Amino acid sequence: MNPFDVALFAAAIRLSVPLLLAALGELISERGGVINIGLEGMMLFGAYGAFITAWATGSVSLGLAAGITLGLLTASIMALVSVTLRGDQIVVGVALNLLAAGVTMFLYRLQFQGTQPTTVRMEPYAVPLLSDIPGIGPVLFDQLPLVYFAYVLGPVVAYMLFRTRGGLRVRSAGEKPEVLDSTGVNVVRVQWSGVLAAGGLAGLAGAFLSVGQVGLFAENMTAGRGFLALAAVVFGQWRPYGVVAACLVFGFTDALQLRLQSMGEVPREVWISLVVVGVLVAAAGVWRARRSGSPLRWMLLGAMLCVVAGGLGTALLPSFVLPSQFWLSLPYVLSLIALATSARGVRAPAMVGRPLPSRG
Amino acid sequence: MNRQALRGAAVSVLAVVLALAASLLVIALTGAPIGKAAAAMWDGVFGSPAQFGATLTKFVPLVLAAIGWVVASRAGRLNVGLEGQILAGGTTAAVVGLYLTGLPTVLHLTIAVLAGAVGGALLGGVAAWLWARRGVNDFIATLLLTLIMTQVVSWLANGPMEEPTGTLGQSSPVADTARWPVLLPRTTLRTDIIMVIIIVLLAAYVLRRTVVGYRLRLTGANADAARATGTRTTVVGVGALCASAAIAGIAGSSLVLAAPAANLAPGFSAGYGFDGIVVALLARNSPLACIPAALLLAALRQGGGLLEARVGISSGLVTATQAVVILLVTGTAWYAERRRSRPRPPGTSDVPAPVAEGVRS
Repeated sequence: MNPFDVALFAAAIRLSVPLLLAALGELISERGGVINIGLEGMMLFGAYGAFITAWATGSVSLGLAAGITLGLLTASIMALVSVTLRGDQIVVGVALNLLAAGVTMFLYRLQFQGTQPTTVRMEPYAVPLLSDIPGIGPVLFDQLPLVYFAYVLGPVVAYMLFRTRGGLRVRSAGEKPEVLDSTGVNVVRVQWSGVLAAGGLAGLAGAFLSVGQVGLFAENMTAGRGFLALAAVVFGQWRPYGVVAACLVFGFTDALQLRLQSMGEVPREVWISLVVVGVLVAAAGVWRARRSGSPLRWMLLGAMLCVVAGGLGTALLPSFVLPSQFWLSLPYVLSLIALATSARGVRAPAMVGRPLPSRG
Repeated sequence: MNRQALRGAAVSVLAVVLALAASLLVIALTGAPIGKAAAAMWDGVFGSPAQFGATLTKFVPLVLAAIGWVVASRAGRLNVGLEGQILAGGTTAAVVGLYLTGLPTVLHLTIAVLAGAVGGALLGGVAAWLWARRGVNDFIATLLLTLIMTQVVSWLANGPMEEPTGTLGQSSPVADTARWPVLLPRTTLRTDIIMVIIIVLLAAYVLRRTVVGYRLRLTGANADAARATGTRTTVVGVGALCASAAIAGIAGSSLVLAAPAANLAPGFSAGYGFDGIVVALLARNSPLACIPAALLLAALRQGGGLLEARVGISSGLVTATQAVVILLVTGTAWYAERRRSRPRPPGTSDVPAPVAEGVRS
């Protein structure tokens, strides 16, 4: 049985979208020099706010608005403490994760006393004509409306960060805030807007999980997706299209993992595709090495591992079961490898994790 | 105590009082009887020897994780991955406790605890290598490694190390020779608390009174000055990360070797790594102050359980209270760490406050 069918790719898109929303917001914030470990908490607040509002009013759009609002509110705490008051970004983020887990659990149990009510949820919208394209039509264009929003968000963020004055200011705030300050720009305000962008989008991502997909709320329903989005920014090496690609890869591995779990054994196609991936990685490595002279060995090593594993898999273990934990940890392993093997020029924005210097 | 330390302590105490008052207010708003809630909290912590023993049992990993954070952050490194290092240390300790049998108690226990320290340090070492050699942010590396470690432990407990018979999804208990002896009969408190106190005192001594500790603090306070005086700051950073991770690994070994079940189960770290950061913040990165701060948080954790059982207030409130404490303490750091209160005469240059160097340039 071939696991690579339309349903798999549709699921991959669906799983990528919350990551994409949160990760692109986080990208803006980190480019502005504020790392937001509290992304998970902002998503959780968004999911809860969206659910409660939709439950009370019966309106999906009000729910989404509430999700964004709660994300923005959480982000204002983040910005107030870490930007204005120069508190430690990492620590504030950890606090926000605790806050969201605690508050949503407390309120949800208080109100629903152990029951789990459902509410309205977003309906898929098939784009006319486009959804009729065989193959990619049903995968890309028969989705929830928020998914279409996520499609355009990547280019929009890329344009804003690299082609507008505001984007230039955000990036300077993340690299050399002193210089931005000397041109008369209020750095604190620039960083605030970056953090708020991350919060609003994370809130929306949370709302997508609760009101968008299932129409219910569960304690800790973000289940690490905030951290996955953080990893996507790292894996995407702080570039908009890199982040989009990272989210798609993570969404795809998640969908594949779910699919393989239900299949019980790893079909031959997976092993074969592993070989294909290995060859592609090797080709990319050679191409990159010829262009920039960066060392080849890591890329080639990864590629050889893929090919060997794929070959051995096809030959020896047709019914081998990979544990789900392998797939679940794959995004983080990939991010770490990407960080460890990337060229010297690729790094986090200089100010990430550091408070603004104080003005005398 | 100098003025600065005094001010810091006052802010910490005030933050806790404010956060507790706020959560009492929330309890009152839900209509639950405040007196009953407070009594449940009190009983949860001091109600019986068993309850108090349980509080002290929770104190052990909390204070160790906090010391881990202190050691790294005094050197200017942010070890957000204490949680993962706890998992790694617990895993290696469990492996030694399970599979290395036939040794006398003292030897077996010592080896298992050391294995925990080594396990933690190995995971921390990976992060330290990434930071020192590949220029990866320490907090990104440690965080990612934690997320990976969570899956590794879940896999081990459900796969290779799973108990052949009996409960699914966890390992068999470790050999009796690798378990900490009970300290107070009929409680969960075991003798590892004595080792923990020694570690805290040792950390305080090393940081304050030795050359190594001085170089570590100098690196954290002003890396340029440290380099100028001949300190190899990269070596200090790597050492601090590894030492911090080793201490977290010992916390992990205690969570396995001193637990009633004494086995490896997914998620046995139970957030202690992150709560340890809260403790260290409250203690303002002073090892000795970690003891009262960890006691307080252990009491909150322990009392929160009974609060839920008796009054029906979800333990989420306790989590949220901790978060408010962190936000208050972090948000007022500029005040507590302020060196001078007098305004300087105009024209003198400003000395930037010592900031944690997050990125190696």
